[in-house]
Amino acid sequence: MDLPVIELAHPMPGFPDDARFALVRLDDDGVLHGFRSLDSQDLQFVVVPPAPFYPDYALDLDDDTATELGIDESSAADVLVLLVVRAGATLADTTVNLRAPLVVNPATRRASQVILDDADLPLAAPLVA
Amino acid sequence: MLVLSRRIGESVVIGGGSPEAVTVTVLEVRGDVVRIGIDAPRSVAVHRAELLAELADANADAASPPEDAVASLSQALRSRS
Repeated sequence: MDLPVIELAHPMPGFPDDARFALVRLDDDGVLHGFRSLDSQDLQFVVVPPAPFYPDYALDLDDDTATELGIDESSAADVLVLLVVRAGATLADTTVNLRAPLVVNPATRRASQVILDDADLPLAAPLVA
Repeated sequence: MLVLSRRIGESVVIGGGSPEAVTVTVLEVRGDVVRIGIDAPRSVAVHRAELLAELADANADAASPPEDAVASLSQALRSRS
């Protein structure tokens, strides 16, 4: 899915000046996406959906975040969850952040990097085991 | 920095008077561990400072990978499927 302008409800930690992003496809399979800042030139995060890598990954979105992103019963099924990838030199060195996924509501084009309460979820988990 | 002494059960209100006030209550003190309760409006995110710092570092590490790294990741994923 490509989304032209996504607005963050809060900036991503470490990037306080970037509020607007675009989601663009980076590969033919539709797995790798770029989460590209529209406020800083050249700032891009590579993101992936969890399903191909962590099929059991599920998150309980708290009510406050749902409200902030405008998620209700009618839009909940369309909400995108994306894991931020840290590209390593090889696939084996490449990690994803399971603790703080990006949650995007395509209907409102609002997003947030949600910090999950589960302390067992790593900030850097191998993309492929 | 404002430094206050509080007893168990006592609170501090930050932003008092406004609907955005944050109330911090000391719940329990045991050795060098203090349990505190934070009552904040939904617009105020509350997180452990060290976790936010770790996340900022993780984001910085992930930010703007070189194009060839993205290309080789894409290729590695394709050859895997």
